[in-house]
Amino acid sequence: MKILVCLKQVPAKDAPLKLAPDARWIRDDVSYEVNEPDAFALEEALRQKEAHGGEVVALTVGPARAAQVLREALAKGADRAIHVEGANAHLLDSYAAAEAITRAIAGESFDLIFTGLQSDDGGYGQTGVIVAELLGAPHATIIMRIEPGGDAKHIKVKRELESGNFQYAKLPTPAVLTIQSGINKLRYATLMGIKQAKNKPLAQVSLEEIGVGPNLNRQTVLRLVPPSKRKGTTMITGTPKEQAAQLVEHLRNDVRL
Amino acid sequence: MILVITETKLTAPGKFNPASLEAVAAAQQLGAALQLPVAAVVLGADDAALAGELATRKLAKVVRLQNPALGAYNPDVWVQSLVQAVSQLQPRYVLFPHTYQVRDYAPQLATRMAGALISDVTGFRVENGQPIFLRPMFQGKWAAEVAFTANSAPGFLTVQIGAFRGDQAEAGAAAAPLETLAVTPGPSPLHAGEVFQEAKQAVDLTQAPIIVAVGRGIKEPKNLDLVRELAAALGGELAASRPICDSGWLPMDRQIGSSGQTVAPKLYLAVGISGAIQHLVGMKGSRTIVAINKDPEAPIFEVADYGVVGNLFDVVPALVTALKNQA
Amino acid sequence: MTHPEMQADVVIVGAGPAGLACALHLARLLDARGLSKENIYVLEKGRALGAHQLSGAVMDPRGLEELEPGFAGDPELGALPVKDDALLVFTENHAVRSPVTPPPLHNHGNYIVSLNRLAQWLGAKVEALGVNVFTSFAGRELLFDGPRLLGVRTDDKGVGRDHQPKANFEPGYDLKTPIVVFAEGTRGSLAKQLLGHLRLGGENPQVYSLGVKEIWDLPAGRFPAGRVYHTLGWPFPTDLYGGGWIYGLRDNQVSIGLMTALEYRDPATDPHNLFQAFKTHPFMRELLEGGEMARYGAKTTPMGGWYAHPPLAGDAWLIVGDSAGMVNSQRLKGIHLAIKSGMLAAESVFETMTGQGSLRGYPAKVEASWVREELWKVRNFHQGFEHGLWAGLFHAGVQQVTGGRGLRARYPSQPGPARMRKLGTLGDPPLMTPPDGKLTFDKVTDVFHSGTRHEEDQPCHLLIAEMDICNERCVREYGNPCVSYCPASVYEMVIGDDGAPELHLNPSNCVHCKTCDIMDPYANITWVPPEGGGGPSFG
Repeated sequence: MKILVCLKQVPAKDAPLKLAPDARWIRDDVSYEVNEPDAFALEEALRQKEAHGGEVVALTVGPARAAQVLREALAKGADRAIHVEGANAHLLDSYAAAEAITRAIAGESFDLIFTGLQSDDGGYGQTGVIVAELLGAPHATIIMRIEPGGDAKHIKVKRELESGNFQYAKLPTPAVLTIQSGINKLRYATLMGIKQAKNKPLAQVSLEEIGVGPNLNRQTVLRLVPPSKRKGTTMITGTPKEQAAQLVEHLRNDVRL
Repeated sequence: MILVITETKLTAPGKFNPASLEAVAAAQQLGAALQLPVAAVVLGADDAALAGELATRKLAKVVRLQNPALGAYNPDVWVQSLVQAVSQLQPRYVLFPHTYQVRDYAPQLATRMAGALISDVTGFRVENGQPIFLRPMFQGKWAAEVAFTANSAPGFLTVQIGAFRGDQAEAGAAAAPLETLAVTPGPSPLHAGEVFQEAKQAVDLTQAPIIVAVGRGIKEPKNLDLVRELAAALGGELAASRPICDSGWLPMDRQIGSSGQTVAPKLYLAVGISGAIQHLVGMKGSRTIVAINKDPEAPIFEVADYGVVGNLFDVVPALVTALKNQA
Repeated sequence: MTHPEMQADVVIVGAGPAGLACALHLARLLDARGLSKENIYVLEKGRALGAHQLSGAVMDPRGLEELEPGFAGDPELGALPVKDDALLVFTENHAVRSPVTPPPLHNHGNYIVSLNRLAQWLGAKVEALGVNVFTSFAGRELLFDGPRLLGVRTDDKGVGRDHQPKANFEPGYDLKTPIVVFAEGTRGSLAKQLLGHLRLGGENPQVYSLGVKEIWDLPAGRFPAGRVYHTLGWPFPTDLYGGGWIYGLRDNQVSIGLMTALEYRDPATDPHNLFQAFKTHPFMRELLEGGEMARYGAKTTPMGGWYAHPPLAGDAWLIVGDSAGMVNSQRLKGIHLAIKSGMLAAESVFETMTGQGSLRGYPAKVEASWVREELWKVRNFHQGFEHGLWAGLFHAGVQQVTGGRGLRARYPSQPGPARMRKLGTLGDPPLMTPPDGKLTFDKVTDVFHSGTRHEEDQPCHLLIAEMDICNERCVREYGNPCVSYCPASVYEMVIGDDGAPELHLNPSNCVHCKTCDIMDPYANITWVPPEGGGGPSFG
């Protein structure tokens, strides 16, 4: 099984995010980490490799500092990595990012391509599905589990749906899956793994080389704005019974319970 | 015109996904702002009830897609069918509710039609006749104004669940015309099985539309039952601030805050939570926040829409009773 | 449980300026000889290089100039030359600029640096030379065979709060090595284990100050970059040693902070709150008006000087930097000493590896270097203040004209907590400054701004030897000073199920300052590193 895992480097969860001067993105001087859902995707890929053999390739589209997520992936057990580098990667929309991925792997054939469910920064949740479309491959999203599908060319997946519902689906490979978070426990990179990662291949290709840039965007972020302001607190007074009655009234009108 | 793609709810035959009405309301508002009529598409199993409901709304028409393959959701079938519908109906914008199902196929549909999908929209404004859409970024810490680039048409967008009110989907003066459109999706390599229910191992609070969170004010684990009752009465999920999970009174996957989950449900009820910043960052993006705390100075009131200063052991039972009575 | 073993040539514990200077210098020495750096390991408990590095900081360039000549011109490091400096004396309502800045606080020729950034900058060079720097790995335990140090065991990962292995459990590695360099910074936990095991110590006990710091974004032009102010006086009473700082950074940011000597008498002393009070001084209020707090941090600094240095070398080990207490407490400078000691250590290590010498040659190198030359002159400085500000200034004056000696060869000293008085023996508890959320903050809000994060489901890393002491003795005798001295609200007294007060710990708030390990009056608390990768993110 040859598996590609797409990882994104995003601002650390608790980093204070200040606006960049042009207000189109946040300032760069924060600490970064791997997008958590992608870490679960990597973990799933490594488990598939451990169970069925094969190769795991880690890929990221990002500036120079994003190489860190690839090094961590290699340290955890990925076999090689591909860095699609560009200083303005954050300006790419999901479509352009998907183009970057598919062009970077042109000429290679993977059995499975994993992405995380969505990114913690943009949160569009589309890149994986668009990659599938560009490759003409079947896809399934919000995957909880992957099993062999009866023969070498099929897999069976468990999808999560709303409200505690699930569904199994069978699809042929090559396929693209977006992986749900929290489906397994993330492994730690070991000292040995980190040491060995240095000798694993890390290929680099620039966005420019493959002709990808914000000019491919089909949508564009004009600017970031503060989240909508709250209108102010309505304090509800009276006896507990009165308060409860008033609150229920407000909730009915406001929230449509 | 603006086309709304609605969704029949997967597990309740005859019952449609209420998010569909929210999408209709959003489309009507966008349509009013852009002077564009709104039409709705219905596809999927048991679509008759949904089609009937939609026909009562102010819509140019309601189009039912027909093909036996639409009996069960399949992304390829949906995409191919909707490519046909969109190509036929030629809308300027295509709108969906941001459901799990839509997330599975809409990006593919948009890409196939050389368009873009702006997802999780919470609002919009119009500038120079062009819509600019608002969507959350960085897990709600910021919002972004996003627009389609000149060369993408039609424009696809999904609206955040709860961002628009389904009951504001304007009723029509007369019944909207009902049409059918036979679509011819090809076979799909993906074979989907039955949908089934399962008690999840870990709860995904980020998907819960209503959350009741409990903090130190609850004093003892045995008092959690009180709050559980409230959660049940509201149809919501139980969550907690860190000290509760730290003490093992609730499992860690119920924790909200910087070291737990970040949520933005349509209703967040904070019971006995003081509102330390570590907790606030995990929930302040919620649409409506209600706080119950006996300390009027508690920081939680700074982010609450509704504040109840009082003893939670009195207020919560009263609330449960009031909810049960009005049900 | 079995721990996997790895053979190492050298293990450097800690990737601060001392550890990285050692690694960098050593790598270059080895390169010049064509020798392998494959098995040189630097362990860093922080998530990333620099994450746990916190200081004001104003750096004497001497050390870094030797290691990296021309560093001042590198925009990647961004060292800011000090443009002007002053000493301000605060009274409750006024700030008086001292007409003469005491020479030790003259900072011309020095640089304002971000220690966090320095560590990243040096670390990149170290890694570029092929030395393994393992971030998110803590040195947890030392491996001994009797008195012989065999190596370092790293932290177990994936252990639950119940001390049971979780699904992703990874045992720590036993790094077997003939050479360990202890570069853990202030109150190093492994250095403490080493000295405890071998029953070694300095002539004087080590004493510390706790520095509490915030970085603020200010309106443009409010405080120029490169300006260095130090403050004395308010809010400290004369019997409590401490002082504040204001450093102008780039981009309209300032670094402000207050250092409180951890030798106070009143057990209710709260250094974090003293810092909050400091900000309410009219001078500070005016400075910070319209600004916003951006980052928070807290860390202790060793202040004991030359006589508090432990033995610096054994057959298999060396101690460098703050771990050895190499700080000039008079000038409030230690980065240059950390770097130089790291370089000298590298030379000793190199000589040992090539059979030209042994690690025991290191103390002699330190003695012969400007490290000793500088620290010798201030060897009794801090101890002179142990009887209050005026006595301290007097002694400092005498020391100035006696080459540092003062009135006696070695001023004696006590460990910090020894000075703590019991409840009921002092007057009223100190006035607390309530947080207003704009200028002053509570500990929990501040901790949030330090980027502190820990894996929640892990054993508590604050080891309380006997909980009964906290709940029964200390509560009566000292009133649980941990609640006050911890700048991160790790320690809380709550009412237990039986209605009696009991200690409740919030270990994931810990900013790794080490105050609790230092100040507990019963020495009941031992700080060990939590699972690697946790802690603050001071960047």
